[in-house]
Amino acid sequence: MSEARDAYIDNFPAEAKVVRAAFYSSFFALALGGVFGIIQTLHRTDFYRFIDPADYYTVLTAHGVFLVISFTIFFLVGIFTWAITTSLDREVEDIRFTWAWYLLMAVGITLSGIAILAGFIDSIDMSASVLFTFYAPLQAHPLFYIGLVLFVVGTWLAGLDWFRSWWAWKAENPDERIPLPTFMVLTTTLMWYLATLGVAVAILFFLLPWSLGLIETVNPLLTRTLFWFFGHPVVYFWLMPAYMMWYIMLPKVSGGKLFSDPLARVVFVLFLILSVPTGIHHQYLDPGIAEGFKFIAMTNTMFLLLPSLLTAFTVVASMEHGARQRGGTGYVGWLKALPWRDPVFAGMALAGLMFAAAGFSGMINAGMNINYLVHNTFWVVGHFHLTVGTAVALTFMAVTYWFLPQVTGKALWSRSVALGQVVLWFVGMTFMSNAMHRGGLLGIPRRTAEPQYDGFEFEAAVGSVGELDAQVALGGVLLTLSLVLFFANVIGTALNGRSDALPANEYAETLSGPEDAPLVLDNLKLWTAIAVVLVIFAYTFPLLSIIDRGGLLGPDVNPFPVSLESVAFLTFAVEHLGTAALESAGNAVQTVVPGVIR
Amino acid sequence: MDQATEELTQSRDREPERKREIGHDEFDPIGTLVLIGLYFLILVALWFFMYFVEFLGNDPTVVGLVLTVVGLQ
Repeated sequence: MSEARDAYIDNFPAEAKVVRAAFYSSFFALALGGVFGIIQTLHRTDFYRFIDPADYYTVLTAHGVFLVISFTIFFLVGIFTWAITTSLDREVEDIRFTWAWYLLMAVGITLSGIAILAGFIDSIDMSASVLFTFYAPLQAHPLFYIGLVLFVVGTWLAGLDWFRSWWAWKAENPDERIPLPTFMVLTTTLMWYLATLGVAVAILFFLLPWSLGLIETVNPLLTRTLFWFFGHPVVYFWLMPAYMMWYIMLPKVSGGKLFSDPLARVVFVLFLILSVPTGIHHQYLDPGIAEGFKFIAMTNTMFLLLPSLLTAFTVVASMEHGARQRGGTGYVGWLKALPWRDPVFAGMALAGLMFAAAGFSGMINAGMNINYLVHNTFWVVGHFHLTVGTAVALTFMAVTYWFLPQVTGKALWSRSVALGQVVLWFVGMTFMSNAMHRGGLLGIPRRTAEPQYDGFEFEAAVGSVGELDAQVALGGVLLTLSLVLFFANVIGTALNGRSDALPANEYAETLSGPEDAPLVLDNLKLWTAIAVVLVIFAYTFPLLSIIDRGGLLGPDVNPFPVSLESVAFLTFAVEHLGTAALESAGNAVQTVVPGVIR
Repeated sequence: MDQATEELTQSRDREPERKREIGHDEFDPIGTLVLIGLYFLILVALWFFMYFVEFLGNDPTVVGLVLTVVGLQ
């Protein structure tokens, strides 16, 4: 029996171990991030508060960093390694190198994680409650930045590993087109190299030396801008692997073929070109960046809608092809012919549906004038729980049900539980995210432990704030339950015995193949050069103007590690400054008013 | 469900029942047009609705500020 099996672990046993390790690291981060998620949901909505409000920001940092850095990136290095080895049909060049980058990433994120979690223990003089964005003047312990650097260097080496495989394959197959999954990995990696330059400069030249005490001050606007240089394209680093799954796995599980290989290549090229020169759209409300630069960022952002709409077309057309081959008919009746009982399909399709909704809230965020309405409100939180929190996370969880048997050689513990899990995630996120969006429209702020104030109430045109809070909390509970089911399945599968009935390690065929794609699409050097030029256009002048105004190391700002002592210090400072200001204002009024009256 | 049944279900569902083979030239993705068209209409409707949320649901923001500054309000 076992000779007949053709799963990934049978063809690439050594690589399967690395992919498995990356998956388990990713799931561990997901579990931690999930725990902090439910804690903050219940705290914010005032259903159950057991942490100190000051610790809320440590919880929020842990939730953000563990989910959007470790969960997503560990998972994607796993599937990228799978994609390279499977589509080139060759082992990695040196498995020791592959383990080395995995271990570097693991050590890095562990150091950052220790720095974050130490924030809960008062007796340890270490904290990193700086949120995922680590804006100065919020300052973290040096260990946090060092860990992030190691983690990112690990991902760079992973990219090198994938390129090495491709170079070796190309030397043996000089006249062949790059296989589509490899093409997707390479373009995404190039985009990632370009994007991480921003955060590398921010950390290595400014934030880390500042945290170590080597330099006294930083220019907060400069480090923020460098963060968003990386911070926007990083969302495509999470999203591209999900897109890859929609392009190469979803058609197969639908029972059809990918509609168009050339269109898929165009989409990934567009993301390589346009992902980076858009970061300033996160800074529409930052003073110190001229409106014109923001307008350029907005234009680039709007162009980014194009590859996402192309994806919507190609992916839906591929699903329809599957449905029609399965006997589906009618304008919308074909939807019934899709394999909705398969958790791999249902999870990915529901994730895609949520992403369509996120498309609209993203368009609102992207528009410079409308952004003012929702900037820094709960709306934005609702938006990214649809994108990274569902389009990406739900796709990853759904494909886990296909990948886990492939890399463990064991049957999935329960498909029914898996189906329940993906549906529960969809329902939970519908409650939570729509309430977050609506809350944002009322002006309810994000990043606030207890958004309720004396003598002021948010007024809802429809429903009430209590109802919104209830929906957020209910959604959070459903999502937590969904996670419990997910981990039950992962653990159950790991404990299962060896299975002889695994599906073969294959991805979707195409209706219109690479032979229909213009050769120029595979010219990675050209697309990288265009991407670099666009980044130079979009960023040179804003960065020069920020440095010109605020200086390379900025005006004198005090570092602000978030701890109870500093809060007490700040309160003291505000009280004294406030009293002093009031006194001087009073004096001024006393001097001026009589003068005016006279 | 015991494991044998589970695996059987798996391998059965993994091989989607393909009733017919549709090639590149026969495939006309009309259903995709319907869904994408529907999505487009939803986007237009929401975009229209946005006007009411921003300008009529809240006090005027930028406009109000200008009026205050130039002393018209």
